[in-house]
Amino acid sequence: MDLLDRYLHAVKFWLPKAQRQDIVSELSEDIRSQIEDKEAELGRPLTEADVEAILIRVGRPVLVANRYLPQRHLIGPALYPIYVFVLKIVTACYLVPWILVGIGLMLYSPGYRAAHGGGWVGALGAVWGGFWLTTLVAVGAVTVVFATLERGASKPGFLETWSPRKLPPVRDPNRISRADSIMELVANIVFASWWVLFMSSPIVLDRPDIRITLAPVWVYFFWGYLMTAAANVALGGMNLLRPNWTRAKAGFRLATNLCGSALFCTLTQSDILLNISLAPGSTADGQAIAAAINMWASRALPFAIGIGLVVLAVDIRRLVRVKAA
Amino acid sequence: MTHVTDLSSAYENLRLELRRGCLALAVLAALRSEQYGYSLRKILADRGMAIDENTLYPLLRRLETQGLLVSEWREEDKRNKRFYRLSPDGKSILKQLLAEWRSINDSLAAIL
Repeated sequence: MDLLDRYLHAVKFWLPKAQRQDIVSELSEDIRSQIEDKEAELGRPLTEADVEAILIRVGRPVLVANRYLPQRHLIGPALYPIYVFVLKIVTACYLVPWILVGIGLMLYSPGYRAAHGGGWVGALGAVWGGFWLTTLVAVGAVTVVFATLERGASKPGFLETWSPRKLPPVRDPNRISRADSIMELVANIVFASWWVLFMSSPIVLDRPDIRITLAPVWVYFFWGYLMTAAANVALGGMNLLRPNWTRAKAGFRLATNLCGSALFCTLTQSDILLNISLAPGSTADGQAIAAAINMWASRALPFAIGIGLVVLAVDIRRLVRVKAA
Repeated sequence: MTHVTDLSSAYENLRLELRRGCLALAVLAALRSEQYGYSLRKILADRGMAIDENTLYPLLRRLETQGLLVSEWREEDKRNKRFYRLSPDGKSILKQLLAEWRSINDSLAAIL
């Protein structure tokens, strides 16, 4: 019976102390009865292999013990869907931008690579390690909050006191609200007017004490942004008249945002400030200030890429949704 | 092949769900006369309601905690065994459950 004793001992290990002896005695009696019945059926004492087969059928000790324990969970079925929803938001709004910015820094920022050993391997290790640590902390924090809610006194009130009247209205994801279209129209018209009035010349500031001049390449950015704004005004007007997303309109929005993002990313790398001329007698060095501003603008590229990718992901999702509808 | 496996798994889950509700009723009904765990299992198996030890003993404990069963350890055939029987509350609950089961049975028969 060595095998049976070892089995019962293993089951006992997982049981709560107060019930341990009681449960194991009853289980032991049952298994011994099974062995006796089997012996009577076969007309011989059971071999170790026979006993082993019975114990395997009864089940792994930890699982057997588990059947006697109360059903426990960190986050119960009532809160679990909300928990998953919050995790999706954390992933989309925090973890994905985090990794995109990390990748951008690694690819385009020599300063970031220099700070992590000077090479790609060190920078990749820093991004990868930082990402997992961030994920662990974010997911861990959400889990702790939900586990606390699960056990908290506020849970019954939260889950049971509700009214169907407070549920959000059903929204058609392909419907464009008129308020959004009006906002878009107004914002783009204001932007385009300001752009034409103040940014059409490469000399963006011309005062006696300071004169700021942009590089000749500015003309491409000027027209590029103006055309993007004009396209957005046209799209906003169409959306106002026909407030539904179609494949053509979703594709058009993707194209304009792609142009805007590409322009912005290129702008950060263009050394756009040609010169800052200061009044005679000033101790500041205009060229040095312009170079510094250009350098900091170039360092904004990873963030520009990150924001652009998020915007484009939203546009692509809309396009896919419209296609599927 | 996957479809067949899914169907078979769905059937097994539904079958277990259906049986789970009936098991407590079968155990309570069988314990109108005193039994110890293994003898109860044999009685239920002989009547077509086989139940494994990992399901029966936790169920017996739960029913006893709810006050529907009473138990005592006694020696029989030179071995200590735990004998269970219905408590007065258990008898009353069994009566109500049987009425409910018959009502469900009648409803199902009408639907089928």
